[in-house]
Amino acid sequence: MTSKTLAFEIGTEEIPAFDLQNATKQFPKLLIERLDDIGLSHGDIDCYTTPRRMIAIVADVAASTEALVEEHKGPSVKIAFDEEGNPTKAAEGFARGKGIDVGSLERREVDGVEYVFAVTSKPAMSATELLPSVLEGVIESISWPKSMCWGTEKALFSRPVRWLVAYLGDEILPVRFAGLEAGNVTYGHRFLSPGAHEVNRADDLIGVVRSAHVVPSEDERKAVIASGVAKVEADTGYTAVLPPKTLTEVINLSEYPTVMVGTFDEMFLKVPEEIIVDAMLMHQRYFPLYDNGKLTNKFIIVSNGDPECETTIVDGNERVVAARLYDAKFFYEEDLRHPLEAYVEHLDEVVFQEQLGTMRSKTDRVARLAEKLCVDADVEASITQDVARAALLSKADLVTNAVIEFTSVQGIMGSYYAIESGESERVAQAIAEHYRPRFAGDEPPKDIVGKFVAAADKLDTVCGLFAVDQAPTGSSDPFALRRAALGIISILQSGLDISLERAIDDALSIYQESDLEFDREKTRAEVLEFFITRCRVMLHDQGMPLDAIDAVLAAGVLEPVTIIERVAALQHARSESADTFDDLATAYGRANNLRDADAGIDFDPTLFSESETKLADAIAKASTEVEEYLADGLYEPALDSLASLRTPIDEFFETTMVMDDDDRIRANRMKLLNRFIGVFANVADFGLMVKTR
Amino acid sequence: MSRSERSGAHKDAPTFQDVIMNLQRYWGEQGCVVLQPYDNEVGAGTNAPATTLRALGPDTWRTAYVQGCRRPTDGRYGENPNRLQFYYQFQVLIKPSPDNIQDLYLGSLEAIGIDVAAHDVRFVEDDWESPTLGAWGLGWEVWIDGMEVTQFTYFQQVGGFECSPIPVEIAYGLERLTMFVQGVDSVYDIVWARGNDGVTFTYGDVYLENEKQFSKYNFEIADTDFLFKEFSDREAECMKTLEAGLPLPAYDSVLKCCHAFNLLDARGVISATERMAYILRVRTLAKACCESYMENVVYAKDAQAAEKGACDD
Repeated sequence: MTSKTLAFEIGTEEIPAFDLQNATKQFPKLLIERLDDIGLSHGDIDCYTTPRRMIAIVADVAASTEALVEEHKGPSVKIAFDEEGNPTKAAEGFARGKGIDVGSLERREVDGVEYVFAVTSKPAMSATELLPSVLEGVIESISWPKSMCWGTEKALFSRPVRWLVAYLGDEILPVRFAGLEAGNVTYGHRFLSPGAHEVNRADDLIGVVRSAHVVPSEDERKAVIASGVAKVEADTGYTAVLPPKTLTEVINLSEYPTVMVGTFDEMFLKVPEEIIVDAMLMHQRYFPLYDNGKLTNKFIIVSNGDPECETTIVDGNERVVAARLYDAKFFYEEDLRHPLEAYVEHLDEVVFQEQLGTMRSKTDRVARLAEKLCVDADVEASITQDVARAALLSKADLVTNAVIEFTSVQGIMGSYYAIESGESERVAQAIAEHYRPRFAGDEPPKDIVGKFVAAADKLDTVCGLFAVDQAPTGSSDPFALRRAALGIISILQSGLDISLERAIDDALSIYQESDLEFDREKTRAEVLEFFITRCRVMLHDQGMPLDAIDAVLAAGVLEPVTIIERVAALQHARSESADTFDDLATAYGRANNLRDADAGIDFDPTLFSESETKLADAIAKASTEVEEYLADGLYEPALDSLASLRTPIDEFFETTMVMDDDDRIRANRMKLLNRFIGVFANVADFGLMVKTR
Repeated sequence: MSRSERSGAHKDAPTFQDVIMNLQRYWGEQGCVVLQPYDNEVGAGTNAPATTLRALGPDTWRTAYVQGCRRPTDGRYGENPNRLQFYYQFQVLIKPSPDNIQDLYLGSLEAIGIDVAAHDVRFVEDDWESPTLGAWGLGWEVWIDGMEVTQFTYFQQVGGFECSPIPVEIAYGLERLTMFVQGVDSVYDIVWARGNDGVTFTYGDVYLENEKQFSKYNFEIADTDFLFKEFSDREAECMKTLEAGLPLPAYDSVLKCCHAFNLLDARGVISATERMAYILRVRTLAKACCESYMENVVYAKDAQAAEKGACDD
């Protein structure tokens, strides 16, 4: 029996770019899983996808599955048959379980005892019989974010399926889906090789598709685009910027990509480049070209058309860009007719959240909160002034034409308008930066003014939505509060010296003064808890062990920066001197279990043994040190001090029987243990870090 | 200087009315009922009853029509070369969707003089959802050399009802398409008609004054008290009409409500919060009309057929 190539093509109308990328990962996996399930041996799989087709080529597929004979040992003959030699219930049950007739049971002797045996055989199944339903199952199992029906069919797929090709060697496999049956016809590039193309065997499919102007895989199209872009860069001396998302779309928007260069009128370069780039990337999927970091009036088009028609195609695209840039320029110039501050009052036409009012009232709250944060941080007056000004103007661009049209440039347009309106560089920068960090991994604002405005803006959002019971639930977080909280934490970490707890109180007070009705204590507790949970998740994602995080949290720390630094120090100390910390945690756990928290801490040193005195002295020394170090935020030395308790506590437990028969001595030892535990109280609950062996 | 020279359109390119007539002829030849525009204000060709209501139910339906669309907030006083508060769509609806519908569509572009093989024609993902209609579908926007000229959608649900069979909708932006065909950069330079004697009318000749006047009316003059009242009156009228089991005239009232809402929006008197409430009110009416259409037209027909079948036995 020789093995053959399996070729399978699902021909479709244009599948969306990102959905296709995702399906490209599923497709080969599903097919291999199913081949393995039916026990059909096979070689490697290659997967090719374009917006109009998904192709899998599997090498060396066996012509059939292997026949399988299996013997199963059953009950002993004594049990299987009664005195008259008729099969018992036990024999019948066994035979039924193996799917054979009770009369077919065989008798064999094993170690001198006779047993019944069931011999089952699975015949070899031919691949051509098995494969159609396997392939049909694969089509149905691809999962799509959105799928649809078409015509009168009930089948579901990302977009309509229009043809199927399925060959094992030179034999067509009659795969059926959505009223289609696989045949010997594939289709070429829509315009460069239109119509049907015949395929005669599995090994020919990719060749036929290639000759029909189809670059069949994502990787190959990516390489074609990359080399086209490199050539443009070499010819022009410019640099192209290819954001990964747009690149994925472009790769999956063509079957035969050709890189072309378009030009727009230089006068549009007067428009802020962010709008031009937004229009090109978001709306048209062009790649901008830069000359030493400065936007040029040239851009890259990736076409799916005939390269011979480049002039026509470029001309058409240039007209589209010109129309969009004309709009952008028009909006920008319109917007400049009024100073940025004039737009602030129009923010009352934009609702922030139904119960929390308009963006106008949000602006007022953010300005007040930002000022309070400045007071808390005790910054110089000029910074406070800039913060107040930037906060007032931070949202004004939301009602300008340019931002309404090109939403991704919010903040950035505000900063351009601020400069044109005579605001200071620092205020303008803060307006541009105050949405940062905008996504996971994005930088927080660089300047302190931007940090204050950004923190106030995000905290106002978090507190307000919690106050009106719009906290995130499960996977639903429509106001992106989790991202906002992480943003605040990253701003605090980047150097904003304020207390989050006080800031939350300030934000809630401002809401109360605005006559919003809400349960302040409940909201306060929920918001604090929300931040702590975010810290916990964030630290865990960064690879910190949960026991260390929980040990720090158990000490009642609320400030994210403190939590983060302390967990890091704790984890560092633990990995530097693992034994010391394991023993310390064990001792802490033991002490904590034995002690009676109500016994107090006023021990009587005259009752001490030598090891008790040593421990008491060590505790007194460590206690003073830890307190001093913590006051200065020096977590590592504080942990070193705690580590110094390891020897005395170990000695104490080795030499001392805590549960002495004498009540007085026992109570005194309890007090000593309480004192010991007390030193740790403000650092971390070491009991949570005991190694479970 | 003659008008056509002023407009800069290619001399041998089809006029605006040629484009319309060629599309009508083409889709007529594909078996579509070529309707005339619906005589009520609509925001899109989709909203005409020949699409919204006829998309429902199991019957085969094929239609093609020009539809004037009103979008008051898009008015630019005739000063923007790409934006209009009144413009034309060419709408095609075919149920069930034919297997070769993409090729039929490309054929329609050829029919208006676009050599699709000489351009970069693409189907770019664009899902459609109309919260006011309780409707959604999947499809594309069609680009020619980067310009979006058509919306292409397989309806999946209308008025909260699953579509079965599936209708396909093709909506051409006639001005965009003609600008492309004629190679002009301003909508007002489109050549609408050209006589044998050389007398030419541009889109500007026909509609510039209309854009100026309606932009002013929509943004500045329209009486908001009157419009608020119209909305409520039409809402009540719609419900009353539905009680009489008449979804088609009831749906006219939905369209009136939509237009009143759009005008109020252009007048800037609807806050973001109120906006949601108005959209919900329109949706309630639209869904009620679809339900009534299913009950009084689609199921009634089924029941009649069943009864007839029973008598024949």
